[in-house]
Amino acid sequence: MLKKIEDWNYYELLSVERTASQDEIWESYQAALTTYRDGSLALYGLVTEAERGLILERIQEAFQTLRDPEKRSEYDLALLRHAPYFPPKAAFRKSVGKLEIEDAPARKTLWTRIKRFFVKNP
Amino acid sequence: MVKKTIGAKVKMDNRIWAIGGGKGGTGKSFVAASLGLHLASLDREVVLIDADLGAPNLHTLLGIKASHPDLGDFLTGTVASLEGAAVETPYRGLRIVKGSENILFIANLNHYRKLRLLRQIRQLATPNVILDLGTGSSFNTLDFFLSANPGIVVTTPEPTAIENTYLFLKSCIMRVLKLYMDHYKIPDLHQKMLDQIERNSQSLYGFFKSLMETDRAYGTILYRALRGFRPCLVMNKTRDERDVLLGRSVADVVRKYLLIDMKYLGAIPYDDEVHTSLRGFRPYYPEHKDSAAAKAIREISEELAYSIEFTLRTPPEIRLPDA
Repeated sequence: MLKKIEDWNYYELLSVERTASQDEIWESYQAALTTYRDGSLALYGLVTEAERGLILERIQEAFQTLRDPEKRSEYDLALLRHAPYFPPKAAFRKSVGKLEIEDAPARKTLWTRIKRFFVKNP
Repeated sequence: MVKKTIGAKVKMDNRIWAIGGGKGGTGKSFVAASLGLHLASLDREVVLIDADLGAPNLHTLLGIKASHPDLGDFLTGTVASLEGAAVETPYRGLRIVKGSENILFIANLNHYRKLRLLRQIRQLATPNVILDLGTGSSFNTLDFFLSANPGIVVTTPEPTAIENTYLFLKSCIMRVLKLYMDHYKIPDLHQKMLDQIERNSQSLYGFFKSLMETDRAYGTILYRALRGFRPCLVMNKTRDERDVLLGRSVADVVRKYLLIDMKYLGAIPYDDEVHTSLRGFRPYYPEHKDSAAAKAIREISEELAYSIEFTLRTPPEIRLPDA
């Protein structure tokens, strides 16, 4: 479905699923802030200052709504009225003979990585 | 009833990875060579093809001298098939089609020869084929990139490299749309597309929106074609976590502003030893298997090997070679 950034829903803007937890939303919000911050290298040569301002505004709006459980459920209902939602299936990963997930060491969360560089007083 | 077989059997399950990108010096050949060496170390059969038509040097990264047969011998007909131009390397399971020494002839490969090469790449009897592409956005480079599943863009955390990555992706998008326009005989749109896309990042959306309003059927065909283009991203030579996160940000910006689904495969940390290995004419990967960069290569390879979401629709003209 072809959509302009102004038409992206809050979940799409923050690149999270509709089933995302509050922690995941917080992390994605922080990641989005680093992507669209002033002077971000990721925008160089593609996104103008005006476009940056616009998307940041939308990201703030998205976070303010999704962090509040009441506002979020209202928003979810509004989205559902617009179109049905099917949660994604679990990603298929070929087994290598043992359960990798249980054996894998805990990975640093996105937030711990972001705050090290981009947040002055976490 | 005897069934006639026309031409050679095309192997459909070949994995073809193309390593490309807009800027030189980002480490495309390093990534190609390391991925090849890693897969070969897992007892897989791999063919590396040096498709950097203007400045081939993949063999040097593997510590091999330039010699014949090479890609030029295949293209001039001295060697009958690409399979014949793939020579053994000192690494078990890994073969290489070296770049040609006849640069002037090869760099300006004509359409017929390009299609013949693309067809033969798909006919290779090797399950893993890795193409090392040249810098820039020539039609030849773009077509090799688009024929792979997936194409992998290698960039570095520098403004010049990021800028060229976006330019390269824009060129890929325009090439995909142009090939579909030609195939479906969609008239008079190419110039309009060029004018609009050059303007700013949101203009790609503008182009599709106006097309959907004037002709929904054509708009749908082209938008689906665009969504079928799913490149991957590797951030090379990262020095800290900030550079690693930059790759994630670039993929996010591409998804939002260029309307394509880009997957971030991961980052490869900067390592001085890469330079030392190159100076010593030795490949980096086998001698530094415990390094952070080698670990990153393994993770990227695993991410690529087990991803099933790459269902790239190869543009029609590239998909149906007439050679």
